[in-house]
Amino acid sequence: MNHDAFEFVEASGGIEAYRLPANGLDVLLLNQAAAPVVTFMVTYRVGSRNEVPGHTGATHFLEHLMFKGTERFNKRRGTSVFNVLQRVGAQVNATTWLDRTNYYELLPREHLALAVEIEADRMRGALIDPDEMERERTVILNEFDRGQNEPMRNLYHAVWSAAFVAHPYHHPTIGWRSDIETVTPEGLRHYYDTFYWPNNATLSIIGDFDPAEALDLVARHFGPIPASPAPIPEVRTREPEQRGERRLTVRQAGQLGMLMVAFKAPTALEADTDALDVLATILTTGKGSRLYRRLTDAGLTTSVFAATSRLRDPGLFYLFASLAPGHGHADVEAVLLNELETIKDDGVSEDEVRRAQRQLHAQEAFGRDGPFSVASQLNEAIAAGDWRLYTTYLDRIRRVTPEAVQQAARTYLLEDRRTVGWYVPT
Amino acid sequence: MPADTPPPTTDLRPFAERVYERTLGSCHAVFLPTPVEDVVTWKGSFLTFPDFGAGEELVQELVMSLLDKGTRRRDRFAIARIVDDRGAQLRFYADGIRCGFYGRALREDVPELMAILAEQLREPLFDADEFEKARAHLIARVHRSMESTGSQASAALSRRLFPPDHPNHTPAPQTQLERLGAVTLDEVRAFHERHVGANTLNLAVVGDVDVPAMEAVLRAHLADWPAADVPARFGTDGTNLPPGRTVVPMPDRDNVDVRMGHGLSVRRQDADYIPLYLATYILGGNFSARLMTTIRDEMGLTYGIHAGLVGISTLYHGYWQVGVTLSRENVERGIEATLEQVRRFTDEGVTADELEEKKTTITGSFEVGLATTNGLAIALLKNLERGFGPGYLDRFPREVAAVELDTVHAAMQRHLDPERFHFALAGTLPEAAPPGADAAS
Repeated sequence: MNHDAFEFVEASGGIEAYRLPANGLDVLLLNQAAAPVVTFMVTYRVGSRNEVPGHTGATHFLEHLMFKGTERFNKRRGTSVFNVLQRVGAQVNATTWLDRTNYYELLPREHLALAVEIEADRMRGALIDPDEMERERTVILNEFDRGQNEPMRNLYHAVWSAAFVAHPYHHPTIGWRSDIETVTPEGLRHYYDTFYWPNNATLSIIGDFDPAEALDLVARHFGPIPASPAPIPEVRTREPEQRGERRLTVRQAGQLGMLMVAFKAPTALEADTDALDVLATILTTGKGSRLYRRLTDAGLTTSVFAATSRLRDPGLFYLFASLAPGHGHADVEAVLLNELETIKDDGVSEDEVRRAQRQLHAQEAFGRDGPFSVASQLNEAIAAGDWRLYTTYLDRIRRVTPEAVQQAARTYLLEDRRTVGWYVPT
Repeated sequence: MPADTPPPTTDLRPFAERVYERTLGSCHAVFLPTPVEDVVTWKGSFLTFPDFGAGEELVQELVMSLLDKGTRRRDRFAIARIVDDRGAQLRFYADGIRCGFYGRALREDVPELMAILAEQLREPLFDADEFEKARAHLIARVHRSMESTGSQASAALSRRLFPPDHPNHTPAPQTQLERLGAVTLDEVRAFHERHVGANTLNLAVVGDVDVPAMEAVLRAHLADWPAADVPARFGTDGTNLPPGRTVVPMPDRDNVDVRMGHGLSVRRQDADYIPLYLATYILGGNFSARLMTTIRDEMGLTYGIHAGLVGISTLYHGYWQVGVTLSRENVERGIEATLEQVRRFTDEGVTADELEEKKTTITGSFEVGLATTNGLAIALLKNLERGFGPGYLDRFPREVAAVELDTVHAAMQRHLDPERFHFALAGTLPEAAPPGADAAS
């Protein structure tokens, strides 16, 4: 489609990419006329990865304050973001993660303009009021306490913190409690002024909408916003090579133990990560998978799953097991590690790889069911550094061979790059 | 540069005109083709009527968890292989007086998976080793629920509001563990024999559906499934306990989950249901509802607070519940502040503007919820179970839009009274529970 204000960049997998040359804003359009609804999403390429010690949790805190509104949209005027959008039936919320922050509205298609207007307004117009911030601080501390209640979450964060000693993936996205307690309005304002600019954001519009009208709306509301006055800061810290296994224990009152085993893994965009995705599928997807059979079907665990983090910087390939009553961490860990060694030694079969590819193909098709599901996956691809990771994912997976899976296992599943965490209930 | 082609358009005909409704022997099925490519989602259920007073809901859970552990024709690995090879999802669930199944697959794989589904429902193996594993998994699930403040608070409130024979009653963990320890494989087999059959079998199939092909598949595999002729055995009303408080002490849990509420003499088909749904939504249905804007936004006391109607069906009564999470230092202050808002709500009612706002919220979000095959399958099945029919997806927004302020206030006066609230708290409380509180384990 031609549009005066936009530069057409490329199309891939049904998605058209445009850019506003004036300010560098990227726009992705995917028309899906399955239901009369549309998802509008803004992904900012800022996450807890961009935070420094003493300022952890700032991205998440700022995400909360973005709902306190702007001069035009705020509670005092009866036009709070939630009030205006939920009035028309929108599902509206935001999430913060390691590499990104996203704000989204899933709403009846006739109200798309409202979502565009609000997101454009708060891209540069957030109030960040000190009084509002103090009230929100205790809300976030309660959110923090809720998280602390969950042993699984505590184990997950403990493993990441042990695995990364220099890179900001070390700290949880919600931040350390003392940083949440002490972050200042000036600190958050500075953070906002550093990262919330059109040239650090991608808009996604998915669902039932008229593409020409949608681009008009974006041009009208986002077009006047200037690009950032200074370049968006890069994260320069690289995690030093891990030279030995790290082990940790999390003790908390509870009933049944859990185990997490993690290995340093490549970035989202590297081909080895595709092989690790196939490996994770072979290990734990479905009741015929290797670890389901050896652990859950054998009665040692109640669940086991494996995943690759697929992040912008090198992350983790990890396995998580929930122990069945009467079984110990060491037994489960031994079986799990033995299976990984078997794969390193003997590889996986053509049949297993074909099955995993089929499973990932079906998951991808299921993931296109509804605009919000598409937006969620696209969001992670944008965060990883290339939105086309979403549209080319199946092609990448189809290229994975049994040899590539074995090679990835031999390259990354190394004892010296392993971090093992046990949750031991007290 | 992509071509300038006109965008595709959404089918806006009423659901009643788009749904294919069929009675195929003992199976009442609806099919809804949608433009999603290659994906078919289905959800079905049937009545089982376990005896809750005798803890049969746990036997029922075991039966459902064993359905995918082999049939008399194929072992569990042979079945897993077929399902895994196709990347499909096939799950069974137990939900009170009903059990059900859920599936999702690529279009070409649906006939084979439906055949497996029918085999699993009708001819399960019930192997002794698998039974022991399933029992261990269920015991583990109970143990894990004991780690969750939210689960423990909700369950404790349910025990104050409903007697053990009511579907909304959740037994105490220890009661569940004792019952699970005593269940035998013979009991599981007998439950399947007597309770699992095409007893009001409803099925919704949504997505890239080939309707004639689906009809043929269902005729071949489910149409002749006999009904299990089992009488309804459950309580329909709440308890008559005086209001009070249950505390579930849990170490190492700085966030305390609080539930408060009382029973309601309302069923889903009653005229008061939708006015009450709107009223409680105004109080605590979403981020812009009163409780979030006051207790969270203005006072900063909680991350999450909600209010709504829970556990109401066409066959039995449910309850009105307010739930809030509070850091331990804010527990009593948070409860008091919440009650103040609830009392203001029942004393002063709601405004015409609030009512109009939430009407459009509810009808808009209902429409949004129908944007996926899963959302559609859930909504269709729910309304088949209620006996409302698939056309209720068209009627519900109209029913909401027609509600008037006076009707809402009359329903609130008839049913909602915070002085009747029961309380349940779970977590590490800052001090001993107040006098008069029951402690629960």
